[in-house]
Amino acid sequence: MASESYDVAIVGAGHAGCEAAVAAANMDCSACLITMHFETIAQMSCNPAVGGLAKGHLVREIDALGGIMGLLADETGIHFRLLNRSRGAAVQAPRAQCDKSRYRLEMKERLEKTPGLTIYQGIVTGLIVEKNRIRGVACGDGRVISAKAVILTPGTFLNGLIHIGLSSYPAGRANEPPSVELSEAIQKLGLKTFRLKTGTPMRLDGKTIDWTVFEAQSGDEEPVPFSLRTEKKLENKVFCHLGYTNEKTHRVIRRDLHKSPLYSGRIRGLGPRYCPSIEDKVVKFSHHPRHQFFLEPEGLNTSEIYVNGLSSSLPYDTQRDILRTIPGLKDSKILRPAYAIEYDAVLPTQLLPTLETRPVDGLYLAGQINGTSGYEEAAAQGLMAGINAVLKIRRKNPFILRRDQAYIGVLIDDLISKGVEEPYRLFTSRAEHRLGLRIDNADSRLSAYGREFGLLSERDFVHFQKKEKRLSSVLAYLEKTKVVPERKDRISLKEYLRRPDIGFENVLEYGPMPEALSPEEIRHVVAEVKYEGYLKKQETEVARIMKMDGMRIPAGFNASLIPGLGREAVENVAKHKPKSIGEMKKLPGLTPSDVMNVFIHISTRNVPRGTSRGKMLLKDE
Amino acid sequence: MYDLSLIETIVAVSTPPGSGGIGVVRLSGPAALKIARALFRPKETKRKFEPGRAVLGSIADPGDGRPFDEGFLLFFKAPRSYTREDVVEFHLHGSPVILEEIVRLAVRQGARPALPGEFTLRAFLTGRLDFLQAEAVDDLIRSTSLAQAKSAFRGVEGALSKKIATLRDGVIALIARIEADIEFPEEGRPASKKDYADKIDRIRSTVDILVRSYEKGKALGEGVTIALVGLANSGKSTLFNDLLEEPRAIVTPFPGTTRDYLREIIRIKDASFLLVDMAGLGRPSSPVEREGVRRGKKIAAESDGLLLLLDGSRRFSAADGALIESYRSRRIILVLNKTDLPEKTSMADVNCRFPDLPLVGISALKGNGLAELRKMIYDLFFHLIPADEIIVFRKRDKLLLEEISVRLLRAKGMILRGRPIELAAEEAREVVALTGYLTGEIRADDILDDIFSRFCIGK
Ligand SMILES: Cc1cc2nc3c(=O)[nH]c(=O)nc-3n(C[C@H](O)[C@H](O)[C@H](O)COP(=O)(O)OP(=O)(O)OC[C@H]3O[C@@H](n4cnc5c(N)ncnc54)[C@H](O)[C@@H]3O)c2cc1C
Ligand SMILES: Nc1nc2c(ncn2[C@@H]2O[C@H](COP(=O)(O)OP(=O)(O)OP(=O)(O)O)[C@@H](O)[C@H]2O)c(=O)[nH]1
Ligand SMILES: [Mg+2]
Repeated sequence: MASESYDVAIVGAGHAGCEAAVAAANMDCSACLITMHFETIAQMSCNPAVGGLAKGHLVREIDALGGIMGLLADETGIHFRLLNRSRGAAVQAPRAQCDKSRYRLEMKERLEKTPGLTIYQGIVTGLIVEKNRIRGVACGDGRVISAKAVILTPGTFLNGLIHIGLSSYPAGRANEPPSVELSEAIQKLGLKTFRLKTGTPMRLDGKTIDWTVFEAQSGDEEPVPFSLRTEKKLENKVFCHLGYTNEKTHRVIRRDLHKSPLYSGRIRGLGPRYCPSIEDKVVKFSHHPRHQFFLEPEGLNTSEIYVNGLSSSLPYDTQRDILRTIPGLKDSKILRPAYAIEYDAVLPTQLLPTLETRPVDGLYLAGQINGTSGYEEAAAQGLMAGINAVLKIRRKNPFILRRDQAYIGVLIDDLISKGVEEPYRLFTSRAEHRLGLRIDNADSRLSAYGREFGLLSERDFVHFQKKEKRLSSVLAYLEKTKVVPERKDRISLKEYLRRPDIGFENVLEYGPMPEALSPEEIRHVVAEVKYEGYLKKQETEVARIMKMDGMRIPAGFNASLIPGLGREAVENVAKHKPKSIGEMKKLPGLTPSDVMNVFIHISTRNVPRGTSRGKMLLKDE
Repeated sequence: MYDLSLIETIVAVSTPPGSGGIGVVRLSGPAALKIARALFRPKETKRKFEPGRAVLGSIADPGDGRPFDEGFLLFFKAPRSYTREDVVEFHLHGSPVILEEIVRLAVRQGARPALPGEFTLRAFLTGRLDFLQAEAVDDLIRSTSLAQAKSAFRGVEGALSKKIATLRDGVIALIARIEADIEFPEEGRPASKKDYADKIDRIRSTVDILVRSYEKGKALGEGVTIALVGLANSGKSTLFNDLLEEPRAIVTPFPGTTRDYLREIIRIKDASFLLVDMAGLGRPSSPVEREGVRRGKKIAAESDGLLLLLDGSRRFSAADGALIESYRSRRIILVLNKTDLPEKTSMADVNCRFPDLPLVGISALKGNGLAELRKMIYDLFFHLIPADEIIVFRKRDKLLLEEISVRLLRAKGMILRGRPIELAAEEAREVVALTGYLTGEIRADDILDDIFSRFCIGK
């Protein structure tokens, strides 16, 4: 039995599972990754792309912590763009289209080459729990795998139900079996689940598309990698194409709306508003004469084309009729139909900030199961769950990122404190401290942790430290070097660079920098200078909040004595007995002014009672 | 930066409601002692109010001078008090009615009822509670303003809160537009600089109107005017002072006391009205009175509404009837005053004669029926306030609105000068937070909700 026992077992080799498994193994634990099918390891269920706004930020953060998604996306990318190039640094993010099958194969190879990591093809059907503590998992083939910690990352597979038109069949993804027993096992532990829905567009045969009618989009001339550890030069190998639907298309959709499982009421799960199906777009924005879509190759060695923007749950015949209305796609052949999928997710408010479940010790959840959607969101959670599972086994302090530290912190905090109603996707606007959470400073924010956990190599870390030195020397130089632009005021180069119309190239006109910087590093310097006032303000804000959050709530504190506090707030405080203002803030049912009320109340009690009248004076509050 | 309102003196019952034994009413602020003097008669008449010493004495209504309770007065001189301001406490026998009466009298003398937690808030603001670092205070004020704003707006579906809500929606729409451009760069065309600038200008113009309304209010400029009419000695000036919560007009037992007219702003809930007191509109007995009546009639003719006072301690006269007849087609409330005295004219009498006119019975002297009258005034005259004439009367609100205006201007400047759009978004987000401090409402997911309902986005 000894060989069957691991430190960490991970269930499901999707984007969350792979990241979790590699992290655990790289932290010198024995890890076993169990997945249904080796051929679908790290399968991109939907679009063939990684990154985008907020998502690209996540990948950078994963990379800074020593995760792998960025390396793989760079390795298998075939079309790279830095989005929002014309805007400020905080809202720029990389996006790459990847070769789907190569992504899978590269990931499998990486898993196989990771020391300490075992992969096993099997279906997990049971969870072994003793006294609220996880002991291991049971597979459908009879094998039992013991582990000190278990991370579940089964994606859309829990009780998955696929809809195409009015027909539906149980599946975890097109033509893959769903996980029914696992969903039952999870619910038996007392974890509440709910239904979500998402969808994917059809894949077309590229040979049957008339490419001449579509506008081609090329990648960036100077591709920006996701990973700072990527050394090879990135190359764009394909074009994307842009097209539009038209009134005819919309008429077909309206004609067949009654055949949609969504509009006929067959789907109960809630779908994402930011990823609407084409029928949703046509219904909700009926005044739009057209909707755009992109034709994206799924890889280099395939003619499959992903139709980004035409996600649908209408029947095959309607999908075909839709395509017939679009010039250039008239004769195109559908290789795989678009479909919608409903699945179980676990209410993420039942999780701790480490992604460990509250009811079961040592059981972690990451990825789509927590109500998120997207490869990057899944990978980020997988990494955090992997790190925290190991830290817990070693009885070390948990690793929790704050909202002002990383998008990962925003993501997890949103999930566990607010819960989700529709599949959760990260947006930059979800972050209160957006200007400080940039792709150019992800490493400054996080690489020290990556090194601490042993996920970043010594070599990579030294590399990072050198970069930090270069940056601070240039920033210091900008601050102390005075110039007189346009023969007017004498100002520092930094003040000069802060001017709206001044870029780094203008600064260079006054002479070379003490260190040569890469374009990436220049982006960092420019951001630090242009955002300086805002960043400082956010810093004090964060310090203030942390100070307030740290204020202790005395034992025996009775919220019902505070006038003006709502009943729900009083009950929740009584039930959860928060130890600090920070903990109290996270409770459901408390408004900001409730928190403030308690804060004032407690603060006044913390005041040293200089006068004997202190007690009486406080009575009216 | 924000109005700490420390200029105002606040008053509240400091013991929990309904508790027996001793009751405490506390005043804090610069006028605490002055107000206390008006209400409290020390037993030893020469006795000074020394800090920290309990002084025995009685509480009396300064209006009629009749004492109604006995107890101690305690004076704490700034800064050696709980709030670091002058604080006066009355320790009395604790019947809730009596305590409330003292609060009411103090308010008449210029104090303001304290909001929940406000004494403690003051202790923070004055640095008496020094556990907080200085910079945390700003945060605190904002958050506490939030609680205050909430209570101030609670239950009031007023025009100002509606206006702020519209303003907020406008800013959220603006942010949604910016965020949609940021988050979905592959989707369609971003808005032009001019689009953004126009949007911001539209929002700012509303804000600026509100800001100006504060000055306007203070300068007794335009506004919805309500005139107090009635025969001499009917109690117009007494009611004027009541509604103003300040003894502004001279009151004497003699008819013909008021000669010229007086105009002051009164506040009811979130609305302000211009109230005009004037000479009695009876038969003048001297050239001065004649001029007073002439002016009064002119004012009454020009006003937006009328409160017509009848003296209930006297028989309904032909002059009363004539007065009502001449104004009955106007927006008018009949106010039967002096209902505390033996009744010569009853509510029923008036109601029989003028069943179609709104009527309320009060005692301006005792303060009875004032709440009902206020409500009637609000209900009858509130909608007359044109949307653009909403008056911001709290300094704190005005300062918040100014800050909003400045930030919007900054956002616009940034966009026009080509600075990164995400910085303009920071300013706009701050504006939304500020509107939250005005209305006491903060909801986080609004912006994403707005994006998804406005823009067809995503794949
Ligand atoms: C139809 C569809 C449409 C989507 N559309 C979008 C979209 O538009 N935008 C977007 O951002 N994201 C979309 N996604 C979501 C995206 O694919 C997921 O968010 C992401 O892959 C989740 O990663 P994960 O690691 O949580 O799970 P997955 O990538 O789904 O991986 C789960 C893995 O677990 C394995 N597994 C499941 N159960 C068991 C078991 N009992 N035992 C062993 N192994 C098991 C599976 O074989 C699989 O390998 C879509 C997904 C689907 C299926
Ligand atoms: N008992 C009693 N006396 C009142 C009431 N209201 C006013 N008085 C008294 O009536 C007298 C006249 O009150 P004023 O407020 O000066 O009346 P007025 O209408 O302004 O009188 P002129 O200015 O002379 O026109 C004063 O002695 C008041 O104290 C009331 O409700 N009850
Ligand atoms: Mg008078």
